[in-house]
Amino acid sequence: MGRGAKIEIDYLARVEGETALTVELDGAPLLQLKIFEPPRFFEGFLVGRKYNEVGDIVSRICGICPISHMTTAILAVEKATGIQVSEQTTVLRHLLAVSQIVASHLVHLYTLAMPDYYGYPGITGMLERFPDEMARFIRMKNVMNHLSGLIGGRPLHPVTHLPGGFTSIPHPDEFGGVLEELRSIRADAEQAVRDVVDFQLPEFFAPCENVALNTENRYSFNEGRIVSDRGLDISVDDYDAHFKEWEVPYAFAKQSAIAGRNIFRVGALARLSNKFDELADRTKSLAHEVCAGLREPNHNPFNNNLAQSLEIVEGIEQCIGILESRVFEEEEIDASPEPGAGGAATEAPRGLLYHWYRINRKGVVEQAKIVTPTAHNFLVIERDLKELVSERRDLDRGKLRLLCEQLVRAYDPCFSCSVH
Amino acid sequence: MSDGKPRIGVFKYSCCAGCEFQLIFFQKHVLETLGKVEIVFCRMLQSGGVEEGPFDVALIEGTITEQWQIEQLRKIRSVTTYVIPIGSCAVCGGVPAIKNNEQEYTIQSRVYEDTSRLTSIRAHSVDQYVPVDGYIKGCPMGERDLAEFVTSLLLGKRPEFIQYPVCVECKLQHNICVLVAYHWPCMGPVTNAGCGALCPSHDRECYGCWGPMKNAHARALANRFAKMGLSEEDICRRFTEFGEPTVEWKPGQVRRWDVVQK
Repeated sequence: MGRGAKIEIDYLARVEGETALTVELDGAPLLQLKIFEPPRFFEGFLVGRKYNEVGDIVSRICGICPISHMTTAILAVEKATGIQVSEQTTVLRHLLAVSQIVASHLVHLYTLAMPDYYGYPGITGMLERFPDEMARFIRMKNVMNHLSGLIGGRPLHPVTHLPGGFTSIPHPDEFGGVLEELRSIRADAEQAVRDVVDFQLPEFFAPCENVALNTENRYSFNEGRIVSDRGLDISVDDYDAHFKEWEVPYAFAKQSAIAGRNIFRVGALARLSNKFDELADRTKSLAHEVCAGLREPNHNPFNNNLAQSLEIVEGIEQCIGILESRVFEEEEIDASPEPGAGGAATEAPRGLLYHWYRINRKGVVEQAKIVTPTAHNFLVIERDLKELVSERRDLDRGKLRLLCEQLVRAYDPCFSCSVH
Repeated sequence: MSDGKPRIGVFKYSCCAGCEFQLIFFQKHVLETLGKVEIVFCRMLQSGGVEEGPFDVALIEGTITEQWQIEQLRKIRSVTTYVIPIGSCAVCGGVPAIKNNEQEYTIQSRVYEDTSRLTSIRAHSVDQYVPVDGYIKGCPMGERDLAEFVTSLLLGKRPEFIQYPVCVECKLQHNICVLVAYHWPCMGPVTNAGCGALCPSHDRECYGCWGPMKNAHARALANRFAKMGLSEEDICRRFTEFGEPTVEWKPGQVRRWDVVQK
């Protein structure tokens, strides 16, 4: 390859948000993920807003994971202001989180990632060749949206969720209806895992620390300690003491690292690497059957696709389990905020998400901090790209370029979130 | 229109991209719609595409917060028959325009230490910079207006967008008026309908996410809120969450933003 060889992707399509990518191939590859998504300054204008507006506002950070931002912010506000919630609220939040994670994974796998593996520019051209896959995708997506919408009022930017709980609870019959629908897509979900296996994901070894929220005996998303497969185990309250964030000149997103530790990864693959044993039996047996070898901490970032597909199965099983065993009742929201500061972390579809707020005696936000999964993954995406390019630099330029795009998409990054 | 199929371009500016998702996953209509139109440019949906146009329709999502966006927007306008802002950000500034309540530098310096490389300008809606041919309102944009628009486009008729306040839909839902009966600070009377009175139907007051209704009487509602005991800051917050830069809600936006001072 000649001097000055370079791969430039000036606008990465089929990801959420706007970014460009420059890879210089001479010598040690120089790599920059130029996230030019315009900043919207959420942490700036949240200052001065009321504690009970925060959830509604931050849900607008992201159109794929609004529920994650909303829930994390509300958990952080509750932590800061000492608002307590019922056990029912926690269960509903879990359902809401799972419904969105499954929907988000579906969107990523079928419309953002899949075209890469079959040589299409996008989903529009694929409808004719993959009618079954597309029908399956839309069936599952509709059911998950139905569940999010039932609890939240609407699937995108829900309205019922406030500090203290939910303003209204759906009628048991409505939950019954969605339970039937969930049962009807079980087979579809298992097929989704096989669809992803059919992608024939590239082999690539890029080890790093896998970081996720973890609770004992449960594959949870909204609670737990921050752990890793290399021994990290900290309380969410200590997040700021361990995680550092800084600005880079070529991107509006910030980079993030854990003090005193090596590079790390968050997301579905990181969750699976930490919590495989907590999966439902059905998901576990499917994982063994269809994708043996994913069990151990996995170091192929392309396998994030596979991990997402397994979480689709897991999520649907969890929703069915909860809806079969519970009845939800109307309850009053009792929220009287005290001044204070506090943070919360959840597992968004793309990984660890952190919100922190300080709220004054008027219930007004004085300071806000938001660190998104893609900010957590920023460094590792660049590192993996560098290694991929060094390893395969003799590949045809077009193929290498596609491989780079596939790698970035495998992380399912959300650049709108990362800049916010 | 080649093969009679309308050529559509979709452009994203400063926003969450939720409207584009709403568009791509147009629920039950997605398959038939994709067959009837030609999406020539939409980055979230497909690689490549023709950025330069010409387009029969350009759907614009997001608030305008950068100079390059204005320049691109003007180019789009010059090669497009119908320019349609989609969603509150593009229609009325939406959530990103909350920042207009304070000095740009104050806002920026809370987020970045090095503000010298930032190029952000005040947040404004699309129609502040180019003439537009209609609005698909909502946050995210409403399915009913989207369906109406796509159908009208295919039939060659003028679309009938919803232009009445949330109150109308609330009455149709047989809801009790939360403003009159419970004294909740409901934005329904000044907010464009289309959501189906979602919040009042779920036991909370409307927070105005669809943005201002045409000719809304914001001052009257702000006075009402004041009589109910809301502070000036609280009233201002309600009128600035969606639609800070709009004339309709201006009378509700009292600019005494000193709440942060302890």
